[in-house]
Amino acid sequence: MLRLLATIKKEWLLLKRDRTGLALLFFMPLVLITVMALVEDAPFRDFQELKFDVLTVDNDQGRLARYVKEGLERTGQFNIVDSLDGKPVTLEQAQRLVNDGDYKICILIPKGATAAIVSNANKVVNEISSRVGMPATLPVKQRDDTVNVVIYFDPAVKKAFKSGIHQALDNFLTQVEAGMLMERVQRQLRSKDSTAAADSLPIQLKAVGLEEKASGPTKEFKGIYSSVQHNVPAWTIFAMFFIVIPIAGNMIRERGDGSLERMKLIPGSYLAVLAGKMLFFVAVCVLQFYLMTLVGIYLMPLLDLPRLVLGPSQISAFVIAVAIGLAATSYGILIGTVFKTPNQALNFGAISIVILSAIGGIWVPLEVMPPHMQFVGHLSPLNWGLEAINNIYLRNAGIAHIWDNALKLLLLCAAMLLVAARVEKKRMG
Amino acid sequence: MIAVQDLHKTFKGAWEPSLSGLSFSFPEGSIAGLLGPNGAGKTTTISVICGLVKADGGLVKVFNLPQDAAHRETIKRMIGIVPQQIALFPQLTARENLVYFGNLYGLKGKPLRDKIERYLERFGLEKNGNKEIHKFSGGMKRRTNIIAALLHDPKLLILDEPTAGVDVQSRSMILDFLRDYNSQGVSILYTSHLLEEAQSLCSVVAVIDEGKLVLQGQPGALIQQHPDCRNLEDVFLHYTGHAVRD
Repeated sequence: MLRLLATIKKEWLLLKRDRTGLALLFFMPLVLITVMALVEDAPFRDFQELKFDVLTVDNDQGRLARYVKEGLERTGQFNIVDSLDGKPVTLEQAQRLVNDGDYKICILIPKGATAAIVSNANKVVNEISSRVGMPATLPVKQRDDTVNVVIYFDPAVKKAFKSGIHQALDNFLTQVEAGMLMERVQRQLRSKDSTAAADSLPIQLKAVGLEEKASGPTKEFKGIYSSVQHNVPAWTIFAMFFIVIPIAGNMIRERGDGSLERMKLIPGSYLAVLAGKMLFFVAVCVLQFYLMTLVGIYLMPLLDLPRLVLGPSQISAFVIAVAIGLAATSYGILIGTVFKTPNQALNFGAISIVILSAIGGIWVPLEVMPPHMQFVGHLSPLNWGLEAINNIYLRNAGIAHIWDNALKLLLLCAAMLLVAARVEKKRMG
Repeated sequence: MIAVQDLHKTFKGAWEPSLSGLSFSFPEGSIAGLLGPNGAGKTTTISVICGLVKADGGLVKVFNLPQDAAHRETIKRMIGIVPQQIALFPQLTARENLVYFGNLYGLKGKPLRDKIERYLERFGLEKNGNKEIHKFSGGMKRRTNIIAALLHDPKLLILDEPTAGVDVQSRSMILDFLRDYNSQGVSILYTSHLLEEAQSLCSVVAVIDEGKLVLQGQPGALIQQHPDCRNLEDVFLHYTGHAVRD
């Protein structure tokens, strides 16, 4: 125990006096997390929170235009712009603005659109009435011209965005048409029986609705999947893995200056010294984890970014932080054992972590990668850590949902230490 | 104290063996010098004696105990090693380094602190004990490097070039200490390229070259055996030649 505690104290003193190392471990990640959250905030908001201005050219001045405008505004994703400088938007003006990219979308409600819907509804009701022996009295347009609501898109908008708008508008049109049809059916019924209005039940347009619910009692997420929610855990894991640089450098220096030799010549197991070193650096990793979490909670809102939302299971977060710390520390020990110079270790360590982070979903979420890259990404230990933290923070998971990733990290840690021990034994031989 | 018999060692990837049938022995209580040109196998021999490197063949005995897995820990307790490099943590102070190495030996508290202070004073470092090692001069580093090997009161002190790169005053202090320490019953094994120093310090020397023993004996006797040699350096050159070793 004395060897272990002495080593922890020694590592603490060494780190305390290494200002560059301290900056690398604590200040740089803080800057990195903040910068990444700020840079990626806009793209995240684009698809999550940002409201788009929608130009509407209302040549109809009828119920359809009103319904479409109200419907789009109700989604919370669109601001309806139907006048500019106090004047109604004209089609030419709208086309120019959309084409220039000033607006992403313009909706043209053509003249006579509402009338066409009314006429069509009347026609259907007249047809039904005549078949049940009632008089077909509702007015119908004689000419059956096709009327289309027209959408103009900024040429640069994404396909998924276009598809979403198409679906939404199609839905509104269907609702308006169905609503008008039902109104006319009710009116026809009232004209046949004067008591119908008083005692008949209202005709419900939708018998089956749509409702979103949480998939389980522990799976309800209170926040939004924002830039902060992705970047803080992701780059924290990245920073935690960067501990390989000081560990590997530390080990190579100890080997080079003979202090490793001296430690090995002292009676007792060198494992106690190694365990002390590991414990210290794991503690540093865990400290990094919580420091970055505090940055997400307190600093991000000051920068007009969303606050980091934590899951309810803080024990799970601690467990996974320790597991990540162990994997990162053992990777540092492996690199420090395999490589002969600090320069080799620094270059390999840094580049390998950047690669593992890129494929592991640290830079961009794994879900947006092609399937084969997603498969490769699942092999990255940084992804195991990130997946576990996302389970805790985003899906309110507990130990039961993270143990597999924690176990993978611990097994990797054990495997790397075994390889390091073999390499060292071979070297000594 | 040390007996080495038919020691063989070839490192993986090496063109030539480091040790090829090396044999010598030093009596307990002596200051023994292990001498040889660069690449003669001195450091490898010390590493095998300490148990850091496993020999391909041969036998090593330290205080009559074979250097094997069964006795390695016992032998470690009896040996204090001063490596050729400054095996200290440069960012720690001398005291912090010594406390750490003392702790690794299981020493702690006041007894350890007292011992550290005694040695710091003995080596003239008491005023600089709280200075970080990287701020020390070469001589101060060498002296601290020696103290780190003394904390557990070893029976055998092994020093690999302990005076390399130090000034005359530091060297004199180190050599005086070694004589004094030896007079307390501690055996000393020492390697050096400084043959004048070895001649004055060692009671017995072994000269090795290309992994083999070239000659062994008391420095004075060896000089007497070679009438054409004025000192140990002449004897050394007589046996190892004048060709430069790399």
